[in-house]
Amino acid sequence: MESEALAVQFTLLDWVWTFLLVLLMIFCGVIFYRLGKKSESDFFLAGRGLPWWLPATSVYATHTATDTPMWITGTIYMWGARGVWYPFFAAWTAVSAFVSTRIFRRSLAMSQAEWQNLRYSGLGSELLRGWLAGWQTFMNMFILAWVSAAMGKICFYLFQWPEWMGLVLFTSICAIYVLAAGYWGVIMADFQQGVISFVVITLVSVWGIYAAGGPSGIVEKLEGMDQLWRLNPFHFDGFWGLDGSSFYAMDFITLLVMSTLGGIGMGNFIDWYPEAQRIQSAKSVRDASYSMWAGGFISLARNSVWVVAILGFFVLYPGITAEAEYEMGWFRLGFEYLPAGLVGVFFAGIIAIHLSTVSSHLNLGALYATRDLYHHYINPEASQKKLVYAGRISTVLILAGAFLLGLTMQSITSWLIFALWLQAAGIWIPSILQVIWWRFNSWAYLSSWIANLIMSWLVVWVLPELGILPELANWANFWLLAVLVSLVYIPVTFLTKPDEMDHLVKYYVMARPLGFWKPVRDEAVRRGLM
Amino acid sequence: MKLFKREWTAEEADEWTSHDFWASLLGVLSFILVTVGIIGAFLLQLWGFAAVILALVLGGIMFLIIDPKLKAMSKGFEQKQADYLEKLEQSNRWEDTDGH
Repeated sequence: MESEALAVQFTLLDWVWTFLLVLLMIFCGVIFYRLGKKSESDFFLAGRGLPWWLPATSVYATHTATDTPMWITGTIYMWGARGVWYPFFAAWTAVSAFVSTRIFRRSLAMSQAEWQNLRYSGLGSELLRGWLAGWQTFMNMFILAWVSAAMGKICFYLFQWPEWMGLVLFTSICAIYVLAAGYWGVIMADFQQGVISFVVITLVSVWGIYAAGGPSGIVEKLEGMDQLWRLNPFHFDGFWGLDGSSFYAMDFITLLVMSTLGGIGMGNFIDWYPEAQRIQSAKSVRDASYSMWAGGFISLARNSVWVVAILGFFVLYPGITAEAEYEMGWFRLGFEYLPAGLVGVFFAGIIAIHLSTVSSHLNLGALYATRDLYHHYINPEASQKKLVYAGRISTVLILAGAFLLGLTMQSITSWLIFALWLQAAGIWIPSILQVIWWRFNSWAYLSSWIANLIMSWLVVWVLPELGILPELANWANFWLLAVLVSLVYIPVTFLTKPDEMDHLVKYYVMARPLGFWKPVRDEAVRRGLM
Repeated sequence: MKLFKREWTAEEADEWTSHDFWASLLGVLSFILVTVGIIGAFLLQLWGFAAVILALVLGGIMFLIIDPKLKAMSKGFEQKQADYLEKLEQSNRWEDTDGH
């Protein structure tokens, strides 16, 4: 543990707030037990009947995890206000709301892995579904591990609890209602957790801003430190360059292009997978679209509130060089400056933030394990009762795996920049191509995944470590990976056969994808299906 | 085609049109403005408040453009959804969706 510990004094009132709010969160989840146990669709999609504002708050709540203020604090402390463009990737929801969300909702696939089966045909399609299902089961376990590790870190910081205790305790509390009510529990708890966390984030941030001298005080202090550039979101160290410690206009342009055009594709970002579940749980295409747009909008608004609070933290505590220490900045603002009584509300808000993320990823990991592995490959004739049971067993196994992984993680910011950006680089274009181009086939997509997994580790970690490749700026890493991986999937596309026309026509008629689908559309018209 | 077409049939709404492009573009602009605007507003800068208001106005225009189309499309699709779901379950169980 690298960060400095701070003993926070909790009064009786703080513990009362914490206890009552946690009780409310668990109650909100558990009361939907009867609805969740009806069928696989209820346990994982709440029966596909939710109005837009429920999945929208869930999109927001899920993407406000305990690690989120850490890595946003990390980027803002390092880069100033321009660091806001790193978490701007959430803007993919603005385009997705009217493109990929619509296409995915119309496909009715319960998961992204199932969508691969609908979009592609033959052996390649099955391999892709199996691969994505396995990958997502692991990835959700991994995400649970890092958010639980972040919770362990916070509890150490607050109470000097051993890290494993904070890691296990709150995630286990959450597992109670996820096991009982499935996605119904997740979505209803997310709603009130989303409201609590938004109020708490705003409260703590405003408090921190005033602790730093208020808006004018922050500006004056930054001016005195000759750091006024930190206020400007459009301050760049030149148009482009390769220095990994600088922030260029090319970083901004790359992030803007990646986030907005990425909304056309499916699977470009790790966020797509939980959102895909929310899209299918909405009661109509219209509700799905608005839930994505609104969820993204609130998430970006929240990021900007954090930015100003972290600028306040910077003027209070300049010159911290250890990442593990400055990424705790926003938490320090809350625990060091809030009065007694409100500290308990803040801690309950942190628990709300944590539980909403944990519940989503527990249920989502179990969805892939149940729907795509157990139901599709192992027991296709399973009854609804058995499928719900399999969902609960999967939930427990993913929880256990997450605890083991969580104990191995240290720094949050580096992991997240790697996972959210660089690991997505190689499959960013293929994820768009699979939506907009009929000729792009399962082998091409599968090969892009495998190539990306190998090349992202090589380019970002292994080759620079061996001195073969210099450590590049993030934007350069992104485009280098995009080009390298394309050298694999483009030849694979043209060297392998297109998917079966019968299969493509069925998919086209149902999902109505955007882009280059003329041969398939003509065939559908010829068959009188349109 | 009018930018603010209000009446759509389900078949018309199923097609990709310029309305989808404008809704996406306005959505992105609104997101950029709210990101920058809230930073400015919390620093009590006038430009920040102006950017947030503009973000909301653009979001409103986006809604006016796309909502009639989304309503018509959703209505048309929901009529076919039950049949599609049945076929989806058959395919997940490896059954032939043509019923053979």
